[in-house]
Parts: sequence; C-alpha cells; structure tokens
Amino acid sequence: MEMFFDGLGVVFLWLAVEYCLRRETADSLDEASMVPFADDPEVARRVELATGKPVKAVAPEEVKPGWVNLDM
Amino acid sequence: MPDQEAWRDLATVDELTMSTATIGQAYNYKVVRQFVIATVFWGVVGMAMGVWIASQLVWPEMNLDLPWTTFGRLRPLHTSLVIFGFAGSAQFAASYYAVQRTCQVRLYSDALAAFTFWGWQSVIVIMLITLPLGYTTTKEYAEIEFSGAVWMAVVWVAYAVVFFTTVVQRKTRHIYVGNWFFGAFILVIAMLHVVNHLSIPVDWFKSYPVYSGATDAMVQWWYGHNAVGFFLTTGFLGMMYYFVPKQVNRPVYSYRLSIVHFWALITLYIWAGPHHLHYTALPDWAQSLGMAMSLILLAPSWGGMINGMMTLSGAWHKLRTDPILRFLVLSLAFYGMSTFEGPMMAIKTVNALSHYTDWTIGHVHAGALGWVAMITFGATYHMVPKIFGRAQMHSTALINLHFWLATIGTVLYIASMWVNGITQGLMWRAINEDGTLTYSFVEALQASHPGFIVRFAGGVFFLSGMLLMAYNVWRTVRVADVALAQRDAQIA
Repeated sequence: MEMFFDGLGVVFLWLAVEYCLRRETADSLDEASMVPFADDPEVARRVELATGKPVKAVAPEEVKPGWVNLDM
Repeated sequence: MPDQEAWRDLATVDELTMSTATIGQAYNYKVVRQFVIATVFWGVVGMAMGVWIASQLVWPEMNLDLPWTTFGRLRPLHTSLVIFGFAGSAQFAASYYAVQRTCQVRLYSDALAAFTFWGWQSVIVIMLITLPLGYTTTKEYAEIEFSGAVWMAVVWVAYAVVFFTTVVQRKTRHIYVGNWFFGAFILVIAMLHVVNHLSIPVDWFKSYPVYSGATDAMVQWWYGHNAVGFFLTTGFLGMMYYFVPKQVNRPVYSYRLSIVHFWALITLYIWAGPHHLHYTALPDWAQSLGMAMSLILLAPSWGGMINGMMTLSGAWHKLRTDPILRFLVLSLAFYGMSTFEGPMMAIKTVNALSHYTDWTIGHVHAGALGWVAMITFGATYHMVPKIFGRAQMHSTALINLHFWLATIGTVLYIASMWVNGITQGLMWRAINEDGTLTYSFVEALQASHPGFIVRFAGGVFFLSGMLLMAYNVWRTVRVADVALAQRDAQIA
C-alpha cells in the first residue's frame, strides 16, 4: 500500500512538471521570472542593468470605476 | 495647532483605508492597506496573548483564577489570533498586492474584496469572543465552532473568487509562480477546512464531528499538518517568490526550479499528517507513509529555500544596508532549519522521544516566529511605504532594532524548548531496574521551569519588536501622502 502511494506521488509529480514546462524555453522562463518588475518601468530599468536581461515593462491600463473590474 | 495637525493626519489615514476615493485607480490598494493594518494589529494582540500564556507556565497565578483566562482557553485563542488574525491578514494583503502587480490588472470586484476584509475580521472577532467563553470543537487550529466555521468558509470562497478571477483577467502571458503558491494555498485550505469541520450541529455553538475514533484523529491531523503546510508554508512561499526578488531587484534564481518546487511541495505535503499520530491506534502503514513522505519533503523544502537564498547572488552586499532584506533572508534560513527539523522529528524513533514534549512547541515556533513572522515583517516593511505613498518607512533604525529583537527572541524561544523537550522526553522514559518510573510527571515539570522562564523572556523580546513595528508603521501611515499613494496605484 505504502509503495503504491509513493509510486503514485512520483508519477503525479513527473506528469505535472512535464505538463507545466511543455512549451517553455529558456527565454520564456526568463521572461516569466521578470514578471514582478514588469509593471514598474523604473525598477525594470535597474533590473535590466543589473542582470543584462530584458524586462518587458508596461504600465497597467487604467480601469473604469464600478462594482466589478471586468471589460464588459 | 498640534491637535489640528493630528486630526489632519488621521483624516489622511482615514481617506486611504476607509474611503472609496481609490476606486478609479489601476490597483485596489485600499483593501491591501486595510489588511496590512489588520496584520499589525492582530500581530500585537496575538503575540501578547502568547506572552501571557507563557507567563502562566512560569507563574500559575497569571491564570487569574477565572475560567475565561485559564491556559486551556487562552492557548487556542493565541494560536487562532496569530495564525488566522496575523498570518491570515498578512496573506490576504500580500496576495492581493502581488496578484494585481504580477497580473497587471485591478482586483476583481472592489465590493467582494471589501467583503473579504470585513468578513475575515469578523471571523477573528468571533474567535476572540467564543474561545475564552469555552466554545470549542477541541480540534487544534480548528477550534472555531460550527456556525463560525461556516461563516469562515463563505469568506474564504469570496477570497478565492476575487483571487482567481483576477488571475483569469491578467494582462500578462505568464501566471507568475508566486500566484501558483497563493492559489494552491487558497484551494487546499478550503478543502481542508470543509472536510475537517464536517459535523452535526446541536445548537449554534456546539457540534459533533461526523468522524469518530482513529478516523477523526486522522482527519484532524490531515488538516492540522496541512494548516502548517498550506496556510503557514505554501502561501508564505508565494510571498517569498514575490517579495525577495522585489527587495533584491533580481529575478528568482531559477524559475524552472520554482516550478519543480511547487509541484513537489503540493504532491508531498498532503500525505505527511500521520506523523502526528505515531504509536497510536492509527494503522501502522499510515504512520510509516506519513514518516516516508515527511522525509522526502525535505527535498522540495530545501529546493525552495536554496532558490530564495540564491536569488541574492551578486547582491549579498545589500544585506549590509537593508534590514528589510535581512528579515527576508533570515526567514529563509529559519525555513530551512525548521524544514530539516520537521522530517527528523517525523522519524518514529525520534518522535518517540520528542512527541508530547516542549520540543514540538519549539519546532512550531521555529517556523512561526522564524519563518512566518519574519517574512511577514519583511513583506510589510516593503509594502507599507508603497501603499501609503511614502519614500520609505519612518525609521530604518527601528527596523534594524526590530530585526535584532525578533532574532534574539526566536533563538531564546527555540533553544529553551529544545532543552526542555529533550529533558522531558528523557525523564518520562527513564525507568528503574524494577521497571517503575524513575521520575514523576511533576518532577519533569519542575525541571522544565527554567526553560519556561527563558521562553517567556524570548516572547517578551519578540513582542517588543512587534510593538516597535506597530509604532514605525503608525508613524509612516499618519504622514501618508495621498497624492503619491494614488500615483503609485496608477503606475505602480
């Protein structure tokens, strides 16, 4: 029983990681790791200088007031 | 004139935390500000409660001979206030802040976000009132009675709706890995809370669980261990993956490792609960499974810890001048230490010595003070100036002092509980040649008294640091710059 659950866990882990990384390249993972800096152009410039990697920084769009913040 | 200035300061704080003036901005920082203030408030109250009950073990008169203030009622109140009040509010604040900024969209529904704030605070108030009155399920970390638990589930579902709809509405291609951790924390806690609280109510404040015997114990510790694993670990790892890179100004060391870390942690943590029930009526295979999974858990835990630490590669010098970063890095060091200690304690033969002793209390506080509270302090000091429109905290020197008070307090706490735990374990198992016990329970208790004093001192150190933080946050918030805060919420 114990071995069965251990094996099940390993298979689940392997499938989950493979699925998440199936279309990722080194560049796309770099891009993902830069997401925390991407909404702050000033910080993004400093990170680019420190790491030599590009940050696709954009200021977020302004959203209209309302009960929900969805594009209707 | 000073009175007028004070009222103007208060009006500014009120505008930033209570008004609806921030609705038209890119990010909803109002709910983040509210949860940050709640984090500090419940931190002070919950830790003060901890110091009080620590004093009761040194001086039993501190029970005050009142039923409402006995150790048995205040101890669950302490854990509920620090876990759900302090750590919970910190999680709401950090996840709402990070998910907006990494998805580059405003939180879904200001009204629902506000509901989660007031709803969550009402849950903590319910705990604050009912637990001292003796209303309890008796299940550790799940003491809130049926009606309160149902209300808690409603608030949690609203939290999930706000968080996940925000992720769905994101403007970025990637869902940043920190949000995966926050998301798993929200989903798994909902599942654990509902399953563990399944019970038959007999009135508004009394219910009986649908499980019985060993099944009830297994369900409770499946919940109890994962309250630590998901409420106090997975969510805070989400916090780590956002705030450590932000504070260092470097991307996470290995994004690929962070994905492996996520799935390995999720796969393993959920199985580790049975190690709380070694040498009980639980089937032996379940105990061994819990032990094996706990040991394997060391790998993803340390993978995550190393990933966080190595994010400082090339920027270690920042530790010399940045006390906020020091909090974040020390929290990772304590995370590494307590996630090594945990698997060791899950080994049956080690557990035979450590279980039911103060060693367990020390282990929990290595995680709670060293990891959860330290990373919360770091994240809070990072967020407060940004959401209240200040360039930095009121006093960096006070952050530094807080850091040392918290570190000394944690070390005193853990060391005293190690000594006490091993002393108790050895005294309880000592037998004479004729098979009788060498020591009575009271003798072991008397031997623990010096450790109780040191633990109380450690708690006082830690609470003093928390009070300094409250003062520092208050001085920063009362001179909040509304225009700057609104501009920050516009372009972040």
